[in-house]
Amino acid sequence: MTEYIQLAWQGLVSGFAYALIGLALVMVFKTARILNFAAGTMAGVTGFLAHWWAADQGMPFGVAIVFAMILTAAGTYVIERLTVRPLVKLGDFLPIVIMTLGIEVLLANVSLLWWGGTARRYRVPGDIDRINWIIGDFRLNAWHVVVAATTFVTLSIVGYIINQTELGLGMKAFAEDQDAAKLMGVKESTVSIYTWVLSALVGGVTGIVFAPVLFLQQDYMNIIFIKGFVAAILGGFLSLSGGVAGGLLLGELEAFTIKWAPREIAAALPVVIVFIILLIRPHGLFTRAKQHERV
Amino acid sequence: MSETTNKRQSALERAGIPQPSFLKKNHYIGLVGIVLMYLLAGTFSSYSQTINMTIIYAIIGASLIVVFGLAGQLTLGHTIFVACGVFLSANITTAWGRGLETELPIAFAVAFVLGMIVGFPSLRVNELYLALATFAVAFVGVQILFEWKEFTGGGSGKGIGDLEFFGREFSRGPTLVRIGLVILLFSFWVVGNIQDGRTGRSMNALRTSETAARAAGIPVAWLKILCFGIGGGLAGWAGVLYIHTLRYGIPENFGVNLSIIVVLALIIGGKHRLMGAVLGAVFVRWLPEILRSVQEYEGVIYGGVLVILTLWSPDGLVGMFERLGGHIKRLAIDPLLSKNGEKAVSEQTNVVSPLSSNHLESFSSDQLRGALQIKNASVAFGGVKAVDDVSFEIPAGAVTGLIGSNGAGKTTLFNAVTGHVKGATGQFILDDQDLTGKPIHIRSLRGMGRTFQNLNLHDDLTVLEHALLGLDRNIKYNRVSESFRLPWVIREEKKAHFVAAEILEHMDLLEYWNDKVEDLPYGLQKRVDVVRALATNPSILLLDEPAAGLPTAEALEMMKKVKEFAQYTSAGVLIIEHNVELVADVSERVIVLDTGAILADGSPEEVMKDEQVIAAYLGT
Repeated sequence: MTEYIQLAWQGLVSGFAYALIGLALVMVFKTARILNFAAGTMAGVTGFLAHWWAADQGMPFGVAIVFAMILTAAGTYVIERLTVRPLVKLGDFLPIVIMTLGIEVLLANVSLLWWGGTARRYRVPGDIDRINWIIGDFRLNAWHVVVAATTFVTLSIVGYIINQTELGLGMKAFAEDQDAAKLMGVKESTVSIYTWVLSALVGGVTGIVFAPVLFLQQDYMNIIFIKGFVAAILGGFLSLSGGVAGGLLLGELEAFTIKWAPREIAAALPVVIVFIILLIRPHGLFTRAKQHERV
Repeated sequence: MSETTNKRQSALERAGIPQPSFLKKNHYIGLVGIVLMYLLAGTFSSYSQTINMTIIYAIIGASLIVVFGLAGQLTLGHTIFVACGVFLSANITTAWGRGLETELPIAFAVAFVLGMIVGFPSLRVNELYLALATFAVAFVGVQILFEWKEFTGGGSGKGIGDLEFFGREFSRGPTLVRIGLVILLFSFWVVGNIQDGRTGRSMNALRTSETAARAAGIPVAWLKILCFGIGGGLAGWAGVLYIHTLRYGIPENFGVNLSIIVVLALIIGGKHRLMGAVLGAVFVRWLPEILRSVQEYEGVIYGGVLVILTLWSPDGLVGMFERLGGHIKRLAIDPLLSKNGEKAVSEQTNVVSPLSSNHLESFSSDQLRGALQIKNASVAFGGVKAVDDVSFEIPAGAVTGLIGSNGAGKTTLFNAVTGHVKGATGQFILDDQDLTGKPIHIRSLRGMGRTFQNLNLHDDLTVLEHALLGLDRNIKYNRVSESFRLPWVIREEKKAHFVAAEILEHMDLLEYWNDKVEDLPYGLQKRVDVVRALATNPSILLLDEPAAGLPTAEALEMMKKVKEFAQYTSAGVLIIEHNVELVADVSERVIVLDTGAILADGSPEEVMKDEQVIAAYLGT
C-alpha cells in the first residue's frame, strides 16, 4: 500500500511540472492563438539564472529568484514586442510558430554558450532538497513539499488573475472571440503582452523549483516542456484547468507505467497518449467539441 | 459551326499562356549545376564529406517541401525517417551484405509506410496539434531507437558495411559525392514534377483552404497521408547517404534537435522552391565551415538568422533573391526594353463564344442534369434548429432561387446538401445517386459544385490554377507517372490548360490568368470562386450569395454568364441571394425559407405577391 502512495506522490510531483508548463502554454494559445515552442527553454533560462546567481555569484537565494523573475518578465516583454507582435498583424499561424522555434534555438544556444553543456547540481539554501522525512515506509522529500506548495500558490495567483481582475476578463474575452473583444474596446496588444509575461513567469517558477529535482543542464526543461505539451493536449489546449488536470493525470500515468511496464513502453507513453487522444478526441478530454465552423 | 470553331484561336494561345512542357528553364539551371558538381567532385575531394552532408540536407529539404511547403503540414519529426534509412542501411550492408540496390528501395518503402503512419493524425487535427504530434514522434522515436539495440546498436550506434552497387564495390570520397548527386537529381526531379503536376496543385490548394479544396473534389485526406509518405521516403534516402558518408549512425543524433534544424534550414532557404532546399542546406552546412574559428556561435547564428528572416522575408533566402531580382528587372531592365510584351488578350475575344470552342466540347451535354431531391433535411446547432425538416425537389436543368432573411437557414441547408456541416439529417439525392452521408469531395465528384458566401479562395494560387483545380477530375494520369512526368502527363496537362483558358475567357477572367487571387479586386475574386466550381462541370451548381457586395449590373452580367454555361452543360443552378431583383430575373422558381422551414414556393411573380413572404421580408 505504501508503495502505491509513494508512486502516486511521485507522479503528483512530476505532474505539477507538466501542469504548470501546460498552463503556461494554454494561456498564450488561448488568448493569442500562438503556440510557444520557446516556453520550455525560456523557463529553463529563468531557472538557470536564479540558481546561477545564488550559487555561483553568491546572491541570497530569494533575491536571485526575484531578479530572475524580473529579468524574465522584461525579456519576454522585449521578445513579444520585437518578434511576435509584427507577425500577429499578418494573421498567419505558421510564421509565428516558426518564430518561436527560432527564439528557442537562439535562447538555447545563448544559454549553452553562457553555462556550458555539462550538467551540475546546484545547492538549495539549507539543503532542503536533501531532507527526507520517513513516515513508516513512505519517504517524503522536503523540497517536493516546497514544489507542491509553490504549485498551489502559483495556480491560486493565476486563478485569481484570470477570474478576478480586468486583465483576466480581457484574456477571457479574447479567448472567446477576438473580433468581438476588439470591438468592445479590449486592447489586443495589452492583453497579449500581459498574457505572455504571465505565461513566462509561470514557466519561470517551474524552472526554478524543478531545477533541484532534475540535474541542471542547459536543456533540462525540454522534457518537461514536451510533457507539458502533452498535458495541454489532454486538456484540449483551450482550457486552463484542463491543462492542469492533464498534467497531473500524465504524471500519475507515467509513475505507474514505469512501475509495471518495460522501459521502452514507459518512454513511449507520452507519444502513445498524444496519438490516441488526437485520434479519438481531438478536442481533448475535458472540453466539448466546438459545434460547427462557419463556411 | 465547324468553320467558326476552326477559325477560332484558342483562349490559351490568345492569352499567351505557356503550354506545359517536359523541361522548364529552372530544370536546365539545376541540371547544369549538378553536372558541374559531378565533374568537379574529384577536384574538391578534400571537401567530400561537407559536400555530401550538404547534398543530404538538400534531399531532406526537398522531402520537406512536399510535406511542409506544398501540403502545409508542419512536421517536427522528420528525422525519424532519416534515422529509418540510416539503420536500415547499416543492417542491410552488414547483416545481409547487400549494396545500394537493396538499401535504396527498402529505405524508401519502409520510410514511405512509416511516413503514412506518422501522417495519420493529420486527418483528425489541425496544424498546431500536428506539429506537436510529430514533435512527440521525434522525441519518442529516438528513445525507441535507443532501446532497440539489435537494430541500432543502442547508445554506441552501428557502423556501415561496404559501399556496393550490384556487387561492384566503390571507394567513398568523390565517388560517394557522385552517387549523392545522382540521388539528389532523382529526388529533385520527382519533387519538381509533383510541384508542377496535379498533386502539387491539389496540395497547394489544401494548404491554403481545405474546405474549398474538398468542395472542388480534391481528396484531401489521401493527399495529406501521401505527402508524409513521399516526404518520408525521400528522407529515407537521405538517411542511406548519411550513414555512407559518416560510416556510423548513433540513435541520439536523430532527435528533436535535428528535426528542428532541417525544418529551419528549409525555412531559411525558402520552403516553396527546390532552390530553397539547396540554399538552406548550404547555409546550414557551410556556415560552420566558414566560421570554424567561432564554431560555438553556430546555433546562435541559426536562431538569429531565422528570427530576422521570418520578420523580413517569410519566404526565405529564395524569396529575398527573387524580390531583389524583381526590383532589378523593374528598375534597370524594363526601362531598356520596349513594353510590347504587355499586350496579352486580343480584341477579337468576344467574336466567338468560348462555348463553341472544341476544347469545351466534353462539357456539353444533351441530357438535362442536376435533379436534386432533398428529403426531410434538418440541422440543429445545440437547441436551435437552423434547418427544420425541409423537403423539396428540383427538376433537372432548372434555375432555382432560394431566398430568405438572415438566419433563415439558407447557407446551412447548402452546407447540409454539400456535406459541409456535421450532424445533418435527411436524404440528399442527385440524379438518382444517393449522396447522404458521403464525404464532401465525393459529393463534389458526383456532380455537386458550390461557391462560398465568404470567399474561400486559395491565396498564393493564380486564377488559372483555380480553374485547373476544378478540372482535376478530368485530368487522367496517376501520381506515379506524374512523378516522372511521362509523356501522357504532359498531354493531359496541356488539354486541361486549354479547357481552363476557355472557361476563364467565358467568365471574362482570361487577362488575369497569371494573377494571384489575393491581388484581385473583390468582384473578380467572386468570379474566380464561380470558375473553380464551373470547371468541376457540376450537375448542379450551388451559388451562395454570388451577388453579395457586387453592383447589380456586374452581378447580372456574371449570372448571365453562369446561366449560359449551365445551359451549355445542361446543368441545374440553385442560388441563394438577398438581391430579390436578381433572383427574380434569373430563376424560374423561387423557394422562400424562413426560420429553417419553407415559407413559399413558386414562380418569382407568385412568390413576390405572397403575403407571408412580404410580411417576412418587410416586417409589416
